[in-house]
Amino acid sequence: MALRLSTSLLSQLSRVGRLQGRAVSTSAVRYVDDLTVKQVEPKDTKSILASEEVQHQKAISGYITIDTPVDITPISGVPEEHIKTRRVVIKLPSKNAMQWRLFFDERERWENPLMGWSSTADPLSNIQVDFSSQEDAIAFCDKNGWEWTVVDPPVKPPRVKNYGANFSWNKRTRRSTK
Amino acid sequence: MLRIGASRLLQHGGRHAAVVSAARTQSSAPDKIEVFIDDMPVMVPPGTTVLQAAAQAGVEIPRFCYHERLSVAGNCRMCLVEVEKSVKPVAACAMPVMKGWRIKTDSEMTRKAREGDQSMAFGSDRSRFLENKRAVEDKNIGPLVKTIMTRCIHCTRCVRFATEIAGVEDLGTTGRGTNMEIGTYVEKMLLSELSGNVIDLCPVGALTSKPYAFTARPWEIRRTDSVDVMDAVGSNIVVNHRTGEVLRILPQVNEDINEEWLSDKSRFAYDGLKRQRLVYPMVKDSDGELRPCEWEDALIVAAKALKAADGSVAAIAGGLADAEALVALKDLVFPDAGTGTDLRSSYLLNTKIVGVEEADMIVFVGANPRFEAPLFNTRVRKAWTYNELHAAMIGPDVNLTYDCEHLGDDASIIGKLLDGSHPFSQRLTAAKRPMIVVGTSLLARPDGDVLYAQLLQLSQKLRSSCEGGSEWRVFNILHRVASQVAALDLGYTPGVADIRNNPPKVLYLMGADEGAITREDLPKDTLVIYQGHHGDQGAEMADVVLPGAAYTEKTATYVNMEGRAQQTQAALVPPGMAREDWKIIRALSEIVDTRLPYDKLNDIRNRLAEVSPNLTRYGDVEEANYFAQATALAEMVSGKKGAAPIDVPQKKLEDFYMTNSITRASPTMAKCIAAVKKEAANKYIE
Amino acid sequence: MLSSLARALTSTSVRSVRNVHRSAAACSDSLFVNYRYHSLLQHRDSADNNVDTPFEFTAENLKRAQAIISIYPDGHKKAAVIPLLDLAQRQVGNWLPITAMHEVAKLLDMPRMRVYEVATFYTMFMRNPVGKYHIQVCTTTPCWLRGSDDIMVTIHEKLGLKPGETTKDGLFTLSEVECLGACVNAPMMQINDDYYEDLAVADTKEILDTLTAGKKPKAGPRNGRFAAEPAGGLTSLTGPPPGPGFMVRDDL
Repeated sequence: MALRLSTSLLSQLSRVGRLQGRAVSTSAVRYVDDLTVKQVEPKDTKSILASEEVQHQKAISGYITIDTPVDITPISGVPEEHIKTRRVVIKLPSKNAMQWRLFFDERERWENPLMGWSSTADPLSNIQVDFSSQEDAIAFCDKNGWEWTVVDPPVKPPRVKNYGANFSWNKRTRRSTK
Repeated sequence: MLRIGASRLLQHGGRHAAVVSAARTQSSAPDKIEVFIDDMPVMVPPGTTVLQAAAQAGVEIPRFCYHERLSVAGNCRMCLVEVEKSVKPVAACAMPVMKGWRIKTDSEMTRKAREGDQSMAFGSDRSRFLENKRAVEDKNIGPLVKTIMTRCIHCTRCVRFATEIAGVEDLGTTGRGTNMEIGTYVEKMLLSELSGNVIDLCPVGALTSKPYAFTARPWEIRRTDSVDVMDAVGSNIVVNHRTGEVLRILPQVNEDINEEWLSDKSRFAYDGLKRQRLVYPMVKDSDGELRPCEWEDALIVAAKALKAADGSVAAIAGGLADAEALVALKDLVFPDAGTGTDLRSSYLLNTKIVGVEEADMIVFVGANPRFEAPLFNTRVRKAWTYNELHAAMIGPDVNLTYDCEHLGDDASIIGKLLDGSHPFSQRLTAAKRPMIVVGTSLLARPDGDVLYAQLLQLSQKLRSSCEGGSEWRVFNILHRVASQVAALDLGYTPGVADIRNNPPKVLYLMGADEGAITREDLPKDTLVIYQGHHGDQGAEMADVVLPGAAYTEKTATYVNMEGRAQQTQAALVPPGMAREDWKIIRALSEIVDTRLPYDKLNDIRNRLAEVSPNLTRYGDVEEANYFAQATALAEMVSGKKGAAPIDVPQKKLEDFYMTNSITRASPTMAKCIAAVKKEAANKYIE
Repeated sequence: MLSSLARALTSTSVRSVRNVHRSAAACSDSLFVNYRYHSLLQHRDSADNNVDTPFEFTAENLKRAQAIISIYPDGHKKAAVIPLLDLAQRQVGNWLPITAMHEVAKLLDMPRMRVYEVATFYTMFMRNPVGKYHIQVCTTTPCWLRGSDDIMVTIHEKLGLKPGETTKDGLFTLSEVECLGACVNAPMMQINDDYYEDLAVADTKEILDTLTAGKKPKAGPRNGRFAAEPAGGLTSLTGPPPGPGFMVRDDL
């Protein structure tokens, strides 16, 4: 009886998951994995269960997706100001970079009255976080509750360069200078 | 390219932005050839240079003179590489690859060839120099570019830039051999609206920024990507700042807009951001003097007046206003007004900036793109150079840096072109992809709507017959200010004639500093509220001043002349008590008792998307294609044409530098104007 | 007190002298013609060479210019820049004022800078006034071995000129140049368009005297040679050239 309850609950969950159609969340997967490991399969399922229940079981024997985005903000200890009001731009920092980097919005900076140093009260201003993929960066922002924007790397149109164009006879590309 | 899912994300109601992949199909040439870079096979189209092929393989060959947007010079010899079976090293930048070539970018021969260079990474580690060091006199080429000519290695990038991109052939190489120098030969200024770009181009620091000299080291600088608002092009920029101060502005590559150039106004007007700023709210006292006060006091005065006005309120938006502030102001002042009834395609640069490269004919009508939108003009010049574009001008005979057929400045030419009686008509109708680019000053004429209607009809006529077909848009408007397109999208109407004819009780100026309405146009009892960042003409005539944020101090939406929404990123915080503009209006609304329903940036962007979804589709141009309807509307326009010749407000270089409140406050811009005016007396200027 | 002040002053002045870095080009370049005329690759206005210096092609030269331009195809008339600059230089007399460059630029419809580039690149365009007779003495190795130093000394003694200087009467300008391609007839000097070769000290004196007298000395070798043949008569090729079949095997 207990077993049946749990399966129907799972099937409901999986239905919800399918409805939402959201991405697989890793922690949830691990949770399900543990379940399958710990579960003791009844020896003669077919004889005990009705056909629809067998189907249910089949449906849940693989991975199921649960739509619960990970949110660590309640436990991270970060002040609310730096969760709710921060905006992050995710982009490749330079033209040949392979790492996606987070760029936080700028906060007020002032000159230290004693030494003239540049000061700020923004704990995120000097944080440099690199990710190997855009998705990782997005997931990290989501986890920390920041609003994010992705800037795609510029697409470079192919350019035909031709030394001979400098000397073309009747084109405007002709150069009288080197 | 900025892509944000704000509009989509708001529809989902969550905080998660959806990202659209920027998958663009790259047209692949049918027959590619295989070459080997350090034994790595690469497939490249024929005609590719060795340097480009290496870049494709991920090998960067060092270079000084080669620049991908300039012609190939091949004079620095830094990019020499070994090609198997070739006796001598070849210059990678100039040599097209042949099938099956094996290129060695790190062989003994390559390294030895590079040692001609003196620098650390590639050069020899011992000095072989025993004679006197060569020294070259510095040149004075104007108030923007500082020259330290002894550093110059004669790569001629600046010469090529001036000749090819800026179209000002004043730089050159004089002398020969060891005595060669880069300069102007005679003492004269580099008279170009794009001169600052040679600073970015210079590989050695012989040309540097005069205003930026000795202010900071690059590692002290924080960089924020943003968008320029000095013109309606929407150039992408990187704001370099430190401790709440903009130190310099550099261009950011955007192939669709500014490539990698930036106009001098956008690059150097930043020192205007520190001067003439409004840092606290002000209210006019009984003596008629503006006195600083608390936010609350100023807002209460403004709110009282707004309430008492009982609907007799008007608002004027200036050229630097952002879309968020514009929509908030509209919601506050005219909550019941609808959005614009105008068809988007009749006020955009429909062909887009890149579209110029496909055109074969461009006709400017009452526009001077060189000073109204310098980077649009470089695109036209590029098309003129590489695609044999034919340019023509109806308006004053101004120098656009390329050959432009001057058709005259008579407004009747438009009508003649429409009925085909003008000698140029034949050429125009024969064009495969014609463009008609209309300046906004033309539309401001008293007979502007008649001319506009004629131009729309002419465009539609050309469009139906041209080879480009219905995909090709002929009609284009060249805007001059950054806020214009967003304002039109939000339902603001151009012109202030209404306000002049029916003066309101309260006039709300949103950064309107161009003196469209002066105090003399208004009755004595009209209360003028000015919201903006500079103490300029608007603040001068105001009774209440609400200090706002400049474009470097707010995350805000601007729509460029193509209709492309882009956002600035706040690099600094507004100075003193100044605040972001939409927040000021939001606060004011609460006191007026019509609380606006947005508290966060995303909320107001949601509202923007509600009014016009294109406003939050950052980086993209929303298609607009209502030419048939616009032409039908245009046919109904009737009026009398004036006899005044077609003119443009900015004819000379000195007219270029000061066009808004930031540039008017900028000492660098003032120096530029002084220097350009002084050069008028220089007989060496042609 | 005063002395220390004086010392301080001298020390600063010494330092400032050290700091003034004369351009190496100005100091060392005698590679082409002479430093005074060719080291400075920037134009400086002077009393006789500025933007108002009158220059106009004469009617005759203008006709010549048009003829030269007509050689080149349409749209490529700027190829005529070198002959036109030369024409202008000859009209002015040995040098090329900046206004002449402007005139050429206007005629050829090209930016002035492009003309400046050409005029500064070629050493035969003199961009500052020179005397009526521009003496260019070759001092490269073959001429030097054959006594070009003596020629220089002779000119210095006779006219008081050092390389780069012009006589007060405006007749002579002396330049020290690199090889002019007449090594077989070393030592030699070029005066305006003529080569004077196989010079001895006496020849040099005579040439200068003739020029001062307003006459034109005879150009070419001075030691009795006609051209570049061996000085002591032919040592080979003395007989008539052999006919066909010379040195060919009889059986062929």
